[in-house]
Amino acid sequence: MDAYLIAIAIITAIYVLLALGLNLQYGLTGIVNFGHVGFFCVGAYTTAILSEHGVPLVVSFPLAAVLAMAFAWPLGLVSIRLREDYFAIVSLGFSEVVRLVATSERWLTNGVQGIAGIPKLFAGWLTGPAQSYAVLGLLVAFNALAILAMLRIVRSPFGRMIEAIRDNEEAVKALGKDPAGFKIQVLVLGAALAGLAGAVYAHYIGYISPEQFLPLITFQIWMAIIMGGVGRISGALVGAGILMLFLEGSRFLRDVMPFISEVSMASVRLGVVGLALILFTMYRPQGLMGDFTRK
Amino acid sequence: MSGFLELAISGLMSGLVIGLAALALTLVFGVARFANAATGDFMTCGAYAALLGFGATGSMVVGGAVGLAAGALVGMVSYLLVFRTLEGRPSVSALLASIGIGFVIRAVLGVVYGHGQQVFQLPLVRPWRVYDLRIQPNDLKIGITALVALLVVFLVLHATPIGRRMRAVADDPMLARVSGIAPRQVMLALWALSGAVAALAGVLLGIKTVVSPEMGWEMLIPVFAAAVLGGIGHPVGAILAGVLLGVLQEIATPYVGFTYKLALAFVILLAVLLVRPKGLFGRVEGVR
Amino acid sequence: MTLSRRQTLAALAGSVLLPALSRTAGAQTAAFRIGALNPITGAGAPYGSGMQKMIVAAAAMVNDAGGAGGRTLEVSSEDTQTQPQAAVLAAKKLIEVNKVQAILGTWASGVSLAVAPLTNDAGILLMNTSGAPALSVPPANAKGLLYRFQATNDRFGRAFAEVATKQGFKRPATMAFNNASGIGNTEGFRKAWEAKGGKVVENVVYEPNQPSYRAELQKVLAAKPDVIVMGSYLADTTIILREWFQTGETTKFIIPAWAANPDLVKALGPEVTEGLISVDSISNEGSDAFKAFDAAYQKAMGQPGLSNVYAAMTWDMVVVLALAMEAAGPNADVAAISAKLREVAGPGGKAVSTFAEGKAALKTGKIDYQGASSILDFDQYGDVTPDFSVSVVEKGKIERKYIVKL
Repeated sequence: MDAYLIAIAIITAIYVLLALGLNLQYGLTGIVNFGHVGFFCVGAYTTAILSEHGVPLVVSFPLAAVLAMAFAWPLGLVSIRLREDYFAIVSLGFSEVVRLVATSERWLTNGVQGIAGIPKLFAGWLTGPAQSYAVLGLLVAFNALAILAMLRIVRSPFGRMIEAIRDNEEAVKALGKDPAGFKIQVLVLGAALAGLAGAVYAHYIGYISPEQFLPLITFQIWMAIIMGGVGRISGALVGAGILMLFLEGSRFLRDVMPFISEVSMASVRLGVVGLALILFTMYRPQGLMGDFTRK
Repeated sequence: MSGFLELAISGLMSGLVIGLAALALTLVFGVARFANAATGDFMTCGAYAALLGFGATGSMVVGGAVGLAAGALVGMVSYLLVFRTLEGRPSVSALLASIGIGFVIRAVLGVVYGHGQQVFQLPLVRPWRVYDLRIQPNDLKIGITALVALLVVFLVLHATPIGRRMRAVADDPMLARVSGIAPRQVMLALWALSGAVAALAGVLLGIKTVVSPEMGWEMLIPVFAAAVLGGIGHPVGAILAGVLLGVLQEIATPYVGFTYKLALAFVILLAVLLVRPKGLFGRVEGVR
Repeated sequence: MTLSRRQTLAALAGSVLLPALSRTAGAQTAAFRIGALNPITGAGAPYGSGMQKMIVAAAAMVNDAGGAGGRTLEVSSEDTQTQPQAAVLAAKKLIEVNKVQAILGTWASGVSLAVAPLTNDAGILLMNTSGAPALSVPPANAKGLLYRFQATNDRFGRAFAEVATKQGFKRPATMAFNNASGIGNTEGFRKAWEAKGGKVVENVVYEPNQPSYRAELQKVLAAKPDVIVMGSYLADTTIILREWFQTGETTKFIIPAWAANPDLVKALGPEVTEGLISVDSISNEGSDAFKAFDAAYQKAMGQPGLSNVYAAMTWDMVVVLALAMEAAGPNADVAAISAKLREVAGPGGKAVSTFAEGKAALKTGKIDYQGASSILDFDQYGDVTPDFSVSVVEKGKIERKYIVKL
């Protein structure tokens, strides 16, 4: 039983890491990133391919984050000045192109067959439950570091600047500051978190293929931060928890809703994500954890 | 050479469908000022409704009419239930809500119809040969339908009172309000028009391909690229850009390979936004 | 942004404490636990329920016959949602909570590949119905604990090559949907065809969800093939064939049966589909084992057993597993059972068709279980070679013409 709960906790922690990155981008800075799964994908493939070639994890993990950043930077450079909804679609397109490349470049990614047998974390030293605990510990450490870093950012001049950009970009421009530079930095930082999440995901699941990186993942994370509370770190945690509860809980949903056929459950899950997005943006844009008075 | 021309014609047909959907997107974008990500799912709704009408009567014209009506209805309902509340909020809210609406539409269609494909069972005909060129009668019908639709939208916008009011709201909402234009009514008409146009695109796509719950959503990026390329809020631009995009995609495939065909729309979108953000025909309105 | 350190700590603590909530002691009894891990929801849903019910039914049949190796079978069921991530969580639950010693019936290749590392780590069996070639070899099949009851994509390709030879085609071309199964089929065909000394005139791989496939078709048709071998699915096949018909060409097609099915004929009408060749891996239809399965399937699902080839496979999984347990003797561990699997199913023994029959025959000597899904002779990779049916569409009806044995 422990191991099952740990497995759920590990996946949740991966979602938290993703949600923290998106929260930094959207919640703190107002960047509407609809391509989060793209960076997640880059991180996952980076470490998977590197470890296939015998590169040790201590090297491939940082590289996963670095490569995700290296993808985010040019994307930000060319498109961060666009109006937010344009950027949203551009980033959505970006994540789809990433998936297309992963699908097409068979020499690099093994294409649609995916990469199997990605080594487990701590495989040499630990086995069984201890190994799972170690993975969870690592994730908690990553999350804690990310949270601490974000807390520092929030209290720094940089933090005040990005919040100012979120709240009134025109005013920031009027003060003679260029918001774009700050926004690119935030985009890159958030991408690093997603890349790191992707790296842990790849080594935990042990098999990745392009079809695991659909835009649906991005919008599940959006649902998480919007339900949890935009701009709040606790919101990312609560939101990721709700998301996981919902995804795993829907296993049992069929027992209470027998009139829904098995085939339709995938649709029902999709519909619930959609409904949550609609209702929360309409009626509780501050999410469960936040007040939204500042926005 | 004839192969090249045939590819161009094929691209033209795909382009008209993309262009019509881009028209639906651009209508809303021009007035309500957000990208309606549910446009693709409005297409899907139209296709399923048309199937229903076609199945009941066996007439494609009736089917198409039912599809258009359903599209208009879904557009209006989305506005009344969701987007009306979100007016005046940041455009991101409306964008997110439209993603949500798209998910809900797909979920409902998935539950009701399942994920299997459905088709319009129209008689298939072998092509006419004009010199060395294969011309397909169905292509002609699709082309004519798209052009008629464009004409109707143009007439509505420029020759009817409600159309004039729409354009007034698009140009300056405050001024329009001061001049005594009731925005509610205008917006309802706008959403109905946009929904119907999207539905038409969906019906045509359904005839060309197969009808499934995801069919519209998959088209979102090319459609958005076409809307931007044409210049947001510019109906003729949207259609022309769609056609251009469709033809480019088909003709380029021998060079970029089949799997990267879909990436082309993204590259074009990015290039337009960088080089000429107001699109080919757009008025000067900030995308930045 | 206001956020206190206390809130952060509380939230962090929550994510750490969650796992420590409960602990259940898994007391071992004289039961052998198996996990039925099937695609109840998602893309595999049309087959998943039937697969799961057949595992339960076969286990009940084994238990009614007095159990296997002195133990009864106990089934725990889970849903993969036809998604790797959900399947991994479900497999973790089966392994850790239910303490299963074999997982039966993963369907999609992506799911089997994701679950395999878990079953390998736990040292338990994984029996799947997936097609991907990667499942035959390490790292997925690192410990030889994987058994596959479905034809590999490669074998499908070989069957296509047999059919193409038999029909006298000379210039085949291929079109493949860009996923593991689509490409697996056409690559398998290409390898087999070239091994026969032939040449494939054109290979095209296409992306799904396009408004048109004319550019792809034009490229293939430009090579003037006499037959196009498809690695495709229903939706894209529908569009491609419609567009092919409208080009006026008269090429033939060899298509896997999951695409060339009655829905395709219904969608396109008899004129377009006339002469299409549909190839399918089939159950071991004439066998007594199939009759037993068919009766059970009728009872559980109200449909003929022919409608779900994967359910015949999951039925066989339970029977073969139980026979191996019986052969390995009381309290045998997973490794010992796995060692007996090939022996009870492979050639060189008394042919049996049910568990009860096999159990009795094992007392006197070796057996060879002839399954409901195929004759079930596992090769060194744990793969089987089912038979293939070849059907031709004639006047809107899919008529079976002959059987191909590899």
